[in-house]
Amino acid sequence: MKDMLGAPAGAEGKGRFYERLINVDRRVIFIFVALAVALPLLFPLNIPVGSSREANAYFGEMERLASGDEIIFSFDYEPDTMAELDPMSLATLRHAFRKDLKVVALTNYAGGPGIAERILGQTAAEYDKAYGEDYVFLGYNPDYSATMLRMGESIKATFPTDHYHTPTDQIPLLTDIDRYADIELLVTVTASALAEYWVIWAGGNYGQRIITGNTAIQAVLIYPYFQTGQLAGFLGGLKGAAEYEKLISIDGAGVRGMDAQSIAHLLIVLFVILGNIGFLIQKRAAAGGEAMEGR
Amino acid sequence: MKKTGPVVLGFIVGMLMLIQYFTPNAWVEARYNNVLDWKQVVFGITLILGVISLFLYHWRKIERKEKGWGYSVITVGGLIFMIAVAIIFTPERGPYPWMFDYVQAPMQSTMFALLAFYVASASYRAFRARGFHAALLLTAGVIVMMGRVPLGEQMGLHHISSWILDYPNLAAKRGIMIGVGLGMTATAIKIILGIERTYLGKGA
Repeated sequence: MKDMLGAPAGAEGKGRFYERLINVDRRVIFIFVALAVALPLLFPLNIPVGSSREANAYFGEMERLASGDEIIFSFDYEPDTMAELDPMSLATLRHAFRKDLKVVALTNYAGGPGIAERILGQTAAEYDKAYGEDYVFLGYNPDYSATMLRMGESIKATFPTDHYHTPTDQIPLLTDIDRYADIELLVTVTASALAEYWVIWAGGNYGQRIITGNTAIQAVLIYPYFQTGQLAGFLGGLKGAAEYEKLISIDGAGVRGMDAQSIAHLLIVLFVILGNIGFLIQKRAAAGGEAMEGR
Repeated sequence: MKKTGPVVLGFIVGMLMLIQYFTPNAWVEARYNNVLDWKQVVFGITLILGVISLFLYHWRKIERKEKGWGYSVITVGGLIFMIAVAIIFTPERGPYPWMFDYVQAPMQSTMFALLAFYVASASYRAFRARGFHAALLLTAGVIVMMGRVPLGEQMGLHHISSWILDYPNLAAKRGIMIGVGLGMTATAIKIILGIERTYLGKGA
């Protein structure tokens, strides 16, 4: 452990305090991160979760819908971001089914069907919803741009069959639904720029109201659309999922993950501060040395 | 003709897609739908081409026993296996969904989860207040990081974090978006008019 905390072997001034601060071995950081994530999951701190303006808007859009209204739900992510986005999908569909909304689901990613089937199956079973009447899964369609645009003209032409090869014109839920004009709200949960594309093509071209759930890194890019009203609401990262879970009063993986995320963020900030203290001392020492040489 | 044909086709399709925005004409609308349908077909074919290209690339590596050819065996094996089980059992049942749930999903999630460790290590090493601008960026980063978690909310940092995201972040992002939008429009016009021909390949 002593070696791990020190500067690399052979480095000049190995024993200096500031050099130890700026050269903490990466394995030590990894161990601390692992503990910062694992311990709060095992021993929850229950730090209160507030709710942001964006999450309130997202919740408000879902809440204003009446029983029987139709929504499109697009699973625009793959397993790599499941930990961050699954809680949003689960919470949104639980909210939708609890309000007796009709759900038309699809995915724009080849790896999306596996996720969509699992989450739709789980939430539909919880609320006793019937496939084809209360929800439908259209599956994956290659080329998101053409899919988003074509759905504005005809959903049934874009998806002649659902994911299970049933012709869409034979699905009871889709009898009166064939374009964005028949849909009250579009929800996209995504780890990429697809939320922006939905806004441009479904929102801009067809006036579709849209809300989105995004990974935290993607959420930063979403603010301009939210400010202009092109996006009616959004959830940013696991924190967004936790806020929404609190709003619908169904705690899930989002709320459970908040303690771990809080401690992990705090740890990273502490390491950054530690590194900067070492850096500033080093800078000062170097400046002092130069001044001595100048005399 | 090799060059003129695609340029003329690009001009016609480009103009059609542009005009359809401004007219409710039924004929134009029908052609617009045709273009969208064909676009999906073409995209589907490019996926097949991609799979064939991937297969051939790794197959050559295996044949020549190039460095890391063992990984290529796994890639080709996985590709053939997944295609075979999807055809035999359908993608909805049998080994295909099992492989997705218990192999692909955990592997992809694990890869992404590793980011937390590398981000922590990289932040510690790279975020140094070397000057005024770096210090400003560092301070903003720390406030947003803490303001976006419940612990930071308890410290009251979420107000400052929201301000940073709502104003400096939004202004910068919007500036970039406008620039990108203008660039895209200029490139689209150049393609429609046949000025930009790099999409035709070398020598166009």
